[in-house]
Amino acid sequence: MSGVSCYDGDMIEIRGITKTYGKKQNAFLALDNISFEIPEGTTIAIIGKSGSGKSTLMHAMSGLDRPEVGEVLIDGENILTMKRRQIDAFRASKMSFIFQSFFIQPNETCYDNVVLPLEIAEVPRGQRRAKVEAALAAVELTDKIKSKAANLSGGQKQRLAIARAIVNEPKILFADEPTGNLDSTTGEVVEDFLFNYSKTNNATLIVVTHDPDLAGKCDAQIEIVDGKIASTKGLNVSAHDPKNEPVALKEEELA
Amino acid sequence: MKLNDTIRRAGRSLRQAKARTLLTSLAIGVGAFTITLSLAGGQGGRDYTDAIVKANTDTHELTVTKKAPATSSIQEYSANKSSSSGGFGQSYPTISQADIADIEKISDVENVTPNYAPSVNYITTEGQKKYVAELSTYSPSVTLDYAAGSVSGELADDELILTEDYAKVLGFKTPADAVGKKVTVNATKLATVYTAAPAMQDTVFTVKAVSSASGLAFRSQGSILISSTEAKNLYTYINEGTPAYGQFLLTSVRVKDANKAEDVKNVLDKKGYDAQTAADVLGTVNTFINVLLGILLGFGALAVLTSVFGIINTQYISVLERTQQIGLMKALGMSSRDVGRLFKFEAAWVGFLGGAIGSGLAFIIGTLANPAITKALDLGDIALLKFDPLQIAIVIVGLILISVGAGILPARKASRLDPIEALRTE
Repeated sequence: MSGVSCYDGDMIEIRGITKTYGKKQNAFLALDNISFEIPEGTTIAIIGKSGSGKSTLMHAMSGLDRPEVGEVLIDGENILTMKRRQIDAFRASKMSFIFQSFFIQPNETCYDNVVLPLEIAEVPRGQRRAKVEAALAAVELTDKIKSKAANLSGGQKQRLAIARAIVNEPKILFADEPTGNLDSTTGEVVEDFLFNYSKTNNATLIVVTHDPDLAGKCDAQIEIVDGKIASTKGLNVSAHDPKNEPVALKEEELA
Repeated sequence: MKLNDTIRRAGRSLRQAKARTLLTSLAIGVGAFTITLSLAGGQGGRDYTDAIVKANTDTHELTVTKKAPATSSIQEYSANKSSSSGGFGQSYPTISQADIADIEKISDVENVTPNYAPSVNYITTEGQKKYVAELSTYSPSVTLDYAAGSVSGELADDELILTEDYAKVLGFKTPADAVGKKVTVNATKLATVYTAAPAMQDTVFTVKAVSSASGLAFRSQGSILISSTEAKNLYTYINEGTPAYGQFLLTSVRVKDANKAEDVKNVLDKKGYDAQTAADVLGTVNTFINVLLGILLGFGALAVLTSVFGIINTQYISVLERTQQIGLMKALGMSSRDVGRLFKFEAAWVGFLGGAIGSGLAFIIGTLANPAITKALDLGDIALLKFDPLQIAIVIVGLILISVGAGILPARKASRLDPIEALRTE
């Protein structure tokens, strides 16, 4: 367990982040003063209707987007003040993503798809094969290593995406509607792989979804409505105060 | 991302769009083909003229003429002025014995040999007709191709070198038959105030060798060659006592060291002579070849320029098509610089492929066509297209660089892509 944190073992800490789209009269508050903490190894669901700001929150937490105000502390480091290249390197080594539409390269083999994060993170060539094989084994696609990704079924494609996401053993895994394009049976298989990875590796899994069943399987939930936290479950939530210090709020039950 | 991973991934991306990659490469290939062929032609052409000049001239030798007087067309009459009539009222300044003595005094000059070129009447051999002939001086420094016999070192005064054509008309079945046979050259002594009647003289020579028509020969082709001493003897016999005697249009100056030829040329220039070194002769011919080469290269460059727009277009489309892939790579932590580099390497691969295809085809076609070209132009054993591996490598590297240059704009577009926008599925 790599993350030695100075924040009571908290892996991710969000402090008063605010994100505005547009200018002046047309300004739209996508995220409004959001603060919460996610302990290491937690599985958490960010739920909300489309346009509620849940995706924007995920982008802010992963450093893809930069909120104007606030801090995103990962292992005590504020990724929002990092330089671009530092954030890139940070994402390459510690985070990974799974998307609703898989984003796999259909014309490439499964091996070439999965090895991409290792190339980006500059993992030495000699170690790659074993890591790719382990990741494909974890999602039960070992026999497809040389197959073209285009020949896989929908569920297999998402499993391939999971293999790609976990190949470099990230401590934080973001899953944006991971089962949105799958039927419920294959969706459940995919969910199992995700939760399994989180448990065995003590990795934090952040699932963005509007599927209550999926959200229910997570340790904690956070509901976003109009860019604000509407309710949380199983989570230590802090509001942003002027001194920019997290203050523990009373735990609320989701309605 | 490590460089070799980027290069490999770029190559893989191209393989996924084989037809497009190949077509874009072919556009550059046309340019590469033209450039490689024109460079090969230029190289071959230069080597060819180089060989001609080397075979016919000597780096130790300068060809000297007297400078024509300044451009004023009307000249004051001078009784002492030496001139040789051009036959149509034109007169050329000639080199006199005094001039020769003057030139001989220049340091580094070994000797001065006037161009005797005796105007004989005819050449014949026993039982054959008489044929008009032109005699030239043999120089051991000029390479000749022999159909029969050969000469090493100096030619003896009673020997001559026939050409294949003369050997044939003089009734010898093969050039080899002519070697060792006697031929007769007839000359007329020109009338002067001292000689009452014109006299004639026959000189007998032994055929030492027969020269063959060579792709390299130009000065000596068609000429029968005799030694310079014998040429002087004949010249003296024919011209002695006439006003033109001892006046030469041309003289060759031999320098002690080939490297000093240029210095001697400068001294001669100050003294009022025009001198041409072997390098000058080569330079004149090469200027012509270089102009032709330049025109061909221009066409090649135009083809490359056209293909540059092809690359820009293809790469732009590729960036648009792969928006999501770029977004994903960025989300996974690939830096903008690496994304840009990926696309530049793709362009580099296209350039490499085009260069290799074009140059390769040019090499194959050129090599196959060389014998036919040589035969059509009657060049003997000379190949007109000469491919230099280094030159081909430079062409390919150059095209890779140009392609990378063309790929800069699309690569910049890719590197600036916002991953959030790129990954939006709606």
